[in-house]
Parts: sequence; structure tokens; C-alpha cells
Amino acid sequence: MTKLVHNELLKLFRKKKLFVALLIVAILVPMFTYAQYEQSKATISKTGNTDWRARLQQEIVDTTNRLGSSGIQGDYKKFLKIRLSQQQYYLDHNIDPKAPGAPTFMRIFLENAIDLLLPLLIMIVASDLVSSELSGGTIKLLLTRPVKRWKILLSKYIALLLSVSFIVTGTAILTYVLSGIVFGYSGWQLPMLTGFSTQGEELITQNVHLIPQWHYLFMELGLVWFVCLIVGTLTFMLSVLLRSTAAVMGIMLASLISGAILANMVSSWESAKYLFMVNLKLTSYISGMSPPIEGMSLGFSMSVLTIWAFVALVLSFIVFTKRDVY
Amino acid sequence: MKRKGLALITAISIASALLWIIGLGAVIQNQWFRPSTTKLAQTPTQQGSTQHKSAVVIAAIGDSLTRGTGDVDGKGYIGSVKEQLQKKTKKQIWLSNAGIKGQTSSQLLQQLNQPQIQRGIKEADIILMTIGGNDLFRGGRALQELQSQSIKKVEQRYISNLKKIYKKIRTVNNTADVYHIGLYDPFSDLRQAKATSHIVRQWNFDSAELAASFDRIVYVPTFDLFQLSVNDYLYSDHFHPNRKGYQLIGERAASLIHFSEEEKK
Repeated sequence: MTKLVHNELLKLFRKKKLFVALLIVAILVPMFTYAQYEQSKATISKTGNTDWRARLQQEIVDTTNRLGSSGIQGDYKKFLKIRLSQQQYYLDHNIDPKAPGAPTFMRIFLENAIDLLLPLLIMIVASDLVSSELSGGTIKLLLTRPVKRWKILLSKYIALLLSVSFIVTGTAILTYVLSGIVFGYSGWQLPMLTGFSTQGEELITQNVHLIPQWHYLFMELGLVWFVCLIVGTLTFMLSVLLRSTAAVMGIMLASLISGAILANMVSSWESAKYLFMVNLKLTSYISGMSPPIEGMSLGFSMSVLTIWAFVALVLSFIVFTKRDVY
Repeated sequence: MKRKGLALITAISIASALLWIIGLGAVIQNQWFRPSTTKLAQTPTQQGSTQHKSAVVIAAIGDSLTRGTGDVDGKGYIGSVKEQLQKKTKKQIWLSNAGIKGQTSSQLLQQLNQPQIQRGIKEADIILMTIGGNDLFRGGRALQELQSQSIKKVEQRYISNLKKIYKKIRTVNNTADVYHIGLYDPFSDLRQAKATSHIVRQWNFDSAELAASFDRIVYVPTFDLFQLSVNDYLYSDHFHPNRKGYQLIGERAASLIHFSEEEKK
């Protein structure tokens, strides 16, 4: 079994897939770093103040103003109200949620990358795991060996699991190292608030507690890994079902992007919460953002994702073992 | 070489897989099975040093006029004031705008209790303020009932709030110059103009009287600016000033502000 996995990893390694994924991150991170840097410079020149408290107060005022304008919709209003009470909470407890530093950048980056960018990177690796062998014909060579089919598929899946872990770790290290050049490497001990929950428009702070940022990041990376694994599994299933890698890519791309779009407009279509793609933004639960659809929670989203992945896995094993290869 | 690289990557992958599983476990433990006794620890206050000796700090508080509603450029009269002042001084001008649309005097009073707003006011050299419009016009819904009785009640409440606001500002910062921008009558071209402008004048008069009883609080009239050609200076909502209207207010306010130190040099 380990030999099979090794074989699969060798293939991935030869195709330079992991390298490509990390290269993308390495190119994007400096861009985001620069953007973040420019933004912080802009706010300082606007308020003329390096004090984060003044900046946060300004944000609170701005949010209040946006709430007051009549042009915004009900759902967005709700989101803003929750944001507002959260900002006020941070201010009251004297915590700067955006204290500069590489760990903070990493946190913001992960929160924004979890539902689209990182799943796309995973897709690069997962999309042609099986389908390329089907279309290329190499599958025959693989299946003529005296090894059970499910073992072959399992080895591929384990290889995928390992590469997902590798990409998540690589991303974490790259963001830390690259953004630290500008922001400095400190900030692991920064207190972070978590445990917010929302009920309608109210932000419930009953369960809120402080944890150091490293712990927070650790949790976030755990969630990122989970999401990546789910997306990887779904891509894996498509890769088993379809011969064409382009089709796999297309379907995954469409559903991931539609998830990002849907999250902004499904709030009144309640059953959409059972779709996997609106559940990907798990980090927003621990930072206390309001979910896209009322009634969604961390537990709910994780269960939905697990069920989707489980079904996908079962389906791919059944299809792969039963299929005629010619 | 290749073989070694692969072994390394595999090792890293396995290690990180385990690590992130633990991370996921940490989430579950932290979000659901956390001992409920942990209390929120207060972090030590580290005071950010915000000494701007070389700059003029302006704090703006109030309602939509401070925010700049109706100005296409979004600057409001505050923006014009800043531009005008920049011509007078070489110092940098730093501006913090805490205006909130639709804010009434009682809401402003509440806002002034927030520690951050107080900090802003404390550091300011100049405080600009607009308030009262929403008390009187109730968000532009006009003076439906012009019964002097109910208006009087509204005004009394406003004046007592204003007194508290002035007091608050003076206790937080008793050196800054406060410029309270007065009300204009957006309805002066309508049929009931006489009645409305009388009310606004009365309102302005009482506010100015109150301002006079405090140190260094200037009540800046704007009524006359809009009196004759109100339509040229109003935004399409017929209530807020437009770009030109804000310019007028800004110029008037800026003309009152002098930098004594600068002139001596």
C-alpha cells in the first residue's frame, strides 16, 4: 500500500503540481501584502492618526452611516449591525483586530482565501488524478497489476490528502515569511476574540473568549485544511466520473464561483444552505461574521460538508471498482 | 536528488496532515467544549502616542451635514473648511469625521459618551459641529404640523440636550474652539415660508444665546446664506445642501478660524 501511495506521489511530483500551486501563492501574497500596506497608509493619511483606536472609531462611524442610508437591503443591514456591535466590542475591550504583523496578515489572508483561492489550488492537484489516466490510457497499465482496484483508488486518495496538507502548510509558511518582510514577524500573542454567535440581528457575546493569535491561526488552518479536503474529495469524485479533465475543472470552477456569488444573494432561499459551496467560509464562524443564511452554524456547515464528501467518496469507489475499462 | 525531495515532501505532508487534524480538533474543542469559566481578561491599555504638535487637528461631529450628504464629491462643508484652512497654514491638517446621518441632539449626546469620540475631541484644536436639523425637521419630512405648541416642546428638548453637549465638550476639552454651524431654512421658497423661517430663526437665536454663555463656542449663522436663492444651493432632496451650498458654509466657517501662532511668525 505504501508503495502505491509513493507511486502516486511520484506522479504528482513529476507533474510539478504542488510546485505550481505554491508558486501561485508565492506570487499572490506579495500583491496582497502590498495592497494591505497601501491601505493602512491611506487610512493613516486620512485620519492623520496612527492610533488604531481612532481608526476603529472611524470605522464604527462609517458603518453607522452606511446603516443609516436607505439604499441598503435588509440582509446587508443585518450584516452591518453585527459588524458594528463586534467592532464596538473590540474597542470596549481594547483589542486591535488589525494590529499589523505577519500573523495578522496571515489570518486576514486565510479568511479571504478559504472559500475560493485555496480550493482552486487544490483543484489543480485533484482534477486530473484519475481522469488523466482514463483519457491517457495509462489506467490499463495500472489496473493490470495484481492489486485490487479499491486499493489503487485509495492510494490516489491518500496521495491527494497528503498534497492537500502540503499545500495548506506551504501556503501558511509562504504567507508568513513573505508578508513578514513588510509587516514584521511578531504578533503571535495578540489576543483574539472568538466564540461570537449570531441570532437574527443580535450578536451574542455570552460565549466570547480570548485566545492568543497563534491559537486562533491554528484553528483557522485546521478549518482551511478541512475545507480543502472536502473540495479535494469532490474534485476527486468528478475526476473518477468524467474522462475529461477540462470537464472536471469546469464543473468545479463553476460551482466554486457560483458559491461565492450565491453567498451574497441566497439569504431568502433557505434550502440553499444544503449546497456545499455556500458552506465553505468556515472561518467566518469563529470570527463572528453573520452567516449567509439564517440558521447556519459551524456545526451545521461542517456536517453538510462532511456528508457531501462522504457521498462523493462512496460514489467514486463504487464507480471505480465497477467500471469497465477498455 | 529527486528521490530525496520526494521523501522530504512526503514527510512534510504527513506531518502537516496530522497537524491540521489537531487544528481541526482545536476548533471543535474551542467552540463547543470549552470550560465556561474562562473570563475575558482585560488587556493592559497601551496608550498610543498621538501628539501632533506640528499639525492642526479638527474633530467634526454631528449629523448628515457633517457627513456631507448631498455633496457629489462627498466632502461636505468639512472638506471645504479643510481646503480653505490649508491655504492659511503650512501645518498639516488632520481631520476626523464622526458625523452620523440623521443624528439628533440626544443621539449626539450619547455618542459623546463613547471613550473614542472623547479622545478625538480631547486631541482636537478645532471642533466643528452641526446638530439640530434632525430634531427640527425630523429627517426632512417637513414641518407637517406647524403648531407652535409642539414645536416648542421639541425645541425645549433640543436646547436642554445642546446644553449638555456643550458642557460635555467643554469638560473634555476646554481649550479648543468650537464652531457650531447653525441651521438654514430649506423650505424658504415654499408656501409656508414665513412660518418655517420664523421657527428656524427662533431656533437659531436660542442656540446662539446658549452658545454665548459658554467659553469659545461660536455659533455660525447660515440662515442668510440660503435665504434668497435656496434652490441653487440645495441638493435634489430639497433638504441637504449641494456642492455649492457646502462650499458656502465651508467658506463662512473657515473665515472665522485663524491661526494666531502662524501670523506672529
